[in-house]
Amino acid sequence: MKSGLALVAVGFLILVASVGWWLAGRPSVESGDAAAVEELLTPSTTVPAPAPPSPITSSEPPDRPSSGAPEATPLPRFTVADQAAGDDREPVALRIPAIAVEAPIIQVGVEPDGDMEVPRNVTDVGWYEHGPAPGEPGSAVLAAHVDLARQGPGVFFNLRSLEPGDVIHVAFSDGTTEAYRAVARTIYDKADLPTEAIFSRDGPPILTLITCGGGFNRSVGSYDSNVVVYAVPSADRSPVS
Amino acid sequence: MRKAMLTLVALMLMAAPATAFAQSSDGTVTVVHGVPDLTVDVYVNDALTLEDFEYGTVTDPLTLPAADYDIAIRAANADPASDPVLSQMVTLPAGANATIEANLDGAGAPKISVWVNDISTIATGEGRVTVRHTAAAPNVDILANDGALFSDVPNGAEGVADVPAGDYNVKVTAAGDASTVVTEVPALTIPEGTNVIVYAIGDLTGGSFQLAVQSIGGLHTPPAGVPSGTGGDLGTGIPLWLFALVAAAAMTIAAGGAKLARQRG
Repeated sequence: MKSGLALVAVGFLILVASVGWWLAGRPSVESGDAAAVEELLTPSTTVPAPAPPSPITSSEPPDRPSSGAPEATPLPRFTVADQAAGDDREPVALRIPAIAVEAPIIQVGVEPDGDMEVPRNVTDVGWYEHGPAPGEPGSAVLAAHVDLARQGPGVFFNLRSLEPGDVIHVAFSDGTTEAYRAVARTIYDKADLPTEAIFSRDGPPILTLITCGGGFNRSVGSYDSNVVVYAVPSADRSPVS
Repeated sequence: MRKAMLTLVALMLMAAPATAFAQSSDGTVTVVHGVPDLTVDVYVNDALTLEDFEYGTVTDPLTLPAADYDIAIRAANADPASDPVLSQMVTLPAGANATIEANLDGAGAPKISVWVNDISTIATGEGRVTVRHTAAAPNVDILANDGALFSDVPNGAEGVADVPAGDYNVKVTAAGDASTVVTEVPALTIPEGTNVIVYAIGDLTGGSFQLAVQSIGGLHTPPAGVPSGTGGDLGTGIPLWLFALVAAAAMTIAAGGAKLARQRG
């Protein structure tokens, strides 16, 4: 009687202890304050949608009174900008010593279904060419596969272990290099990816690295989440507390 | 003609929701100069707001409170009290993005045109091209990469289309006659999320015909997602030792249970 009960108790003890040990030791994908970065990239002027405007109308001017016109508030003046030549500086290579990444950057756009295009080659990193380049206002997006069915692990396989403080180097087509410092790492359900913030073209310059992660659905061959690392120009004081 | 244009403008405004560009009580105004051989000063509500404005130039957009504005155009450095060359009252509604253009009508007489720019959001990966015929010239066709984009456009009319972002060879030809090319832009860049507005201005027979370009950015839609893994190499996340321990625990519990059952029986 006693030995049977003891065996059952020991069995449960092993079960609880091992699962608990595993859960406690499992590295969290969350690190740093990703929500603060999202906030920086989200336009603060989320004004309520204005009422539909009434049409512009025009009419012949009334007789212009030479004086006694209503007091005009001072109007801002129009300006004519110099036609600045487009800045063709593009990112061409990525180096992240902390996770042994050294990869070429290619320009990518949009898939027919509206998703961001990600390089077909598992060793390439894609820069979303319609958004800002690294260092420009807003979020510069670099995406790469965590893995591909026929090619194995990809260049961002270890993105989930990049830590806040780690340095990221981006080389540009004009021969210059800029350093960035990771400030946050997080994981989003794909359905909850904050695309407005991640693809923002306003706000402080943020470098955003994206790959897949989370659970893998073998029947459809895709992951259910995105692992995202946010970085800032390393010369900046952290905008994220 | 003007009535028709204003009706069109009204319809477009209904269709074009205002974006977060302007505060809800403001509108946005850009000025385009399309009257050749005339450098002007532009007065708004009797105040000089733009000096020595030259043919073919486009101002930066200016945010103004929604209100009625008295627009007057005089030759550069003309007496502010003199009769203007052109003048018009313009009502700027809240949230609207408008362009005020001085241009020639089909017969070559100067006029003021008020355009409402389409600032509705654009699908991911696309840009918008707007073409406005405001030159003293016959009807035209607009071709993009040698395909018809807009056909038989008369003075005072416009065409608007969303197209995949990229560079386009754009030709302006006589309506129905692709061999008579009025002007050609070898590579007009339509950036993603941007409305590129091309004005045909000047006088075709007088040799002053040219194009002016205004761009309104920030109309983009972000991609829906980032599909970046198909391999499953990250695994289930459950290590082998955990499987082994859980199996051991199950066997221990089973053994204990069997012993209990035997002792009861």
